[in-house]
Amino acid sequence: MGKLIWRNLLRNKRRTLLTLASLMFAVVLLTFLTAFLDLLTNTEAAVDNRLVVRSAISLANPLPESYGPRLQRIDRVKAVTPLNWFQGVYLNDRPENFFARFSSDPATLFQVFTEYRMSDAEKQAWAAERGAFIAGKALADKYGWKIGDQIFIKGDIYPVDLNLTLRGIYTAPGVESSEKQIFFHRRYLEEAMNNPGIVGTYFLLLDSPDDVPAVVEKAEAMFANSESQVRAETEAAFQLSFLEMIGNVQFLFQAIGIAIAVSIFFITANTMAMAARERTTEVAVLKTLGFQGGQVMGMVIFEAVLVGLLGAAIGCAVSAAAITGMARQLDKVFPLFGTLAMTPRAWGVGLGIGLLVGLVSGLFPAFSASRLRIVDALRRVA
Amino acid sequence: MKIPLKYNIRSLFVRSGTTLMTIASIAFVVLVYIGVLALAGGLRVAFAASGDPRNVLILREGAKTETESFFDQEKARQLAALPGVARGADGQPLASGQVILLQILKRNDGSESNVALRGVEPAVFAIRPQIHIVDGRQFEPGKGEVIVGKNLAERFRDLKLGNEVTFGRIRFKVVGVFDSNGGSFNSEVWGGALDLRNAFRSSSSSFSSTLLQASSPDQAEALVRTIQADQRLKLQAMSETKYFAQQATANSGQFIILGNVLAVLMAFGACFAAANTMYAQVSARSHEIGTLRALGFRRRSILAAFMVEAALVGLIAGVVGAALALPLNGLTAATMNGMTFSEITFALRTTPDILAGGVLLALLTGVVGGFPAAWSASRRPVTVLLREH
Repeated sequence: MGKLIWRNLLRNKRRTLLTLASLMFAVVLLTFLTAFLDLLTNTEAAVDNRLVVRSAISLANPLPESYGPRLQRIDRVKAVTPLNWFQGVYLNDRPENFFARFSSDPATLFQVFTEYRMSDAEKQAWAAERGAFIAGKALADKYGWKIGDQIFIKGDIYPVDLNLTLRGIYTAPGVESSEKQIFFHRRYLEEAMNNPGIVGTYFLLLDSPDDVPAVVEKAEAMFANSESQVRAETEAAFQLSFLEMIGNVQFLFQAIGIAIAVSIFFITANTMAMAARERTTEVAVLKTLGFQGGQVMGMVIFEAVLVGLLGAAIGCAVSAAAITGMARQLDKVFPLFGTLAMTPRAWGVGLGIGLLVGLVSGLFPAFSASRLRIVDALRRVA
Repeated sequence: MKIPLKYNIRSLFVRSGTTLMTIASIAFVVLVYIGVLALAGGLRVAFAASGDPRNVLILREGAKTETESFFDQEKARQLAALPGVARGADGQPLASGQVILLQILKRNDGSESNVALRGVEPAVFAIRPQIHIVDGRQFEPGKGEVIVGKNLAERFRDLKLGNEVTFGRIRFKVVGVFDSNGGSFNSEVWGGALDLRNAFRSSSSSFSSTLLQASSPDQAEALVRTIQADQRLKLQAMSETKYFAQQATANSGQFIILGNVLAVLMAFGACFAAANTMYAQVSARSHEIGTLRALGFRRRSILAAFMVEAALVGLIAGVVGAALALPLNGLTAATMNGMTFSEITFALRTTPDILAGGVLLALLTGVVGGFPAAWSASRRPVTVLLREH
């Protein structure tokens, strides 16, 4: 039986190959879309017991500096550190030179971001010098920065230009995206603007993830009647809120994915129909030999599923290779997308669609083959 | 001698199942291509409708967008007094300071987004006459009233006409809904500059930008040069058309790339499908082809005949795909304006060039996919063709 199916596939090699090729392209696309969506929703850098506190109005609205000590006093809060998204322009405004730049507090940064590793000597050197900054190792490697190097960052959100000296390189084992940032002194920025005392976001480290709901409630209640109300949420929720703002992207990708799947369905269904039609006489002969309708049906479906899965597997393999290569290139021109990877979900979607399309496209020819009346089929002139 | 077109059309539909499925698979490629590019098209239309070549927009030096910009209102007064600024019917300069603020609001489905609030001075309505109230009435400055762009009123529960909504620390009343002829302002809330500034109590004496109108585009350019040349101001001026063109490019670029990458890859896949169909056509009709050759039709006529068939498959698929995509025109979509960090809602636009691009893509797919089969059909010897069954 298996041999028969295999022979059938090879009977018209060109047709099988063409079908596999078109399936492959479609599956490559589907897996790319999935991998890309997974990248957007990736919160690997988020830690479950870290909270973000920001203005309830919007991120563009800063909070007062005085909120830090008050947040620190909430039960179960281990450490608090302020971060301001500086943005700015390094070298030029091409996307390849974009990375996160934060004004921060050297005294508390490492207490909250405990996964960042840097030597004590470097920590002290950074803290001691107003114009010093630290960079993640991945970023320092990219630009070839060495301790003592100076960089210039032109302000855009803030009307301040920065002249910074590298005093430390930190690592964040296992989370490459966390190493693509720099941190400098918030006092540098504050003084350049005549000390407005503003903080964009506070990051809080809690004792355990179980404390999240209670601390969120307390933090929001604490400032409910204050000048600036706040919103507190987990780091992951904070990151996903950006995706929520982008809006219909997920829906858009799903719609495209469905259109691609329908398109492959027609392609595979077409092949299966052609293959089945050619073999009408053969099916009749099999039935004459005593094969049951169900067996014939299973055979045709199995063949369709085999084509679907084979095309999908080739597509996934090509995708995995292409994505790895592409991520390396993207890292140079669009570092935000440098961590694109063939995720397990992408494999699942690719192979799943292959299986589904194979099954569905085999159904109709299989059903008509099983219902075929031997006399009609044998009488027909092929 | 040429084989008549009628023969091709009839032949295609002798084995209609195969042909229809191939048409369907290519049509979906076209649908995706047009759909994604319609997003880019819609964004471009929305931003293009917002700019006027006579208008000059002034931002703080170094700021890339209005959201990042702020400067003292004293400078705004100096700008309004510049020679070259046109005067309105009331004799006042056509100049408006503008404050741009962001506020998180809930959409109808409960998800959240940043909404752009624009505080304006009365002259703005003379500078941007395309803004007109479609429901309710104009806001009165100093009374905590706002008007909302048409698209926002539909998407955000708090922004319906007659509702009250908190911006910053103050409650505002939505008294009107406006339309800016499909422009990007339809995704903004407008109110008095002072009212909104007070609500956010931040930098109470600054504007995000100043909008000036000159009497002609040439005058506007002269005004831009004057402001750019003044080193003391530390401001940058640009034509409003240019400002919105930058936003259009920045925001639609991703969709143009996505649409084209998808289209090319999917079209490759569909090419193989078309090849499959044409090979099936050729092998099913080897007898016919042999007969035609025996009748005296030349090899190139056979080649041409099959190419015409392949092109027809592509063309029909293109037209079907475009027809399927047409209902997308006018659908609203929303995305985040990556430059201003606020939501922009716009209508999809399946412009004629996008539709034509889709049909062309399908035609190419058919022709490229069909060529190998057509070529082999024309090359095979008559004796072989006639012997096959």
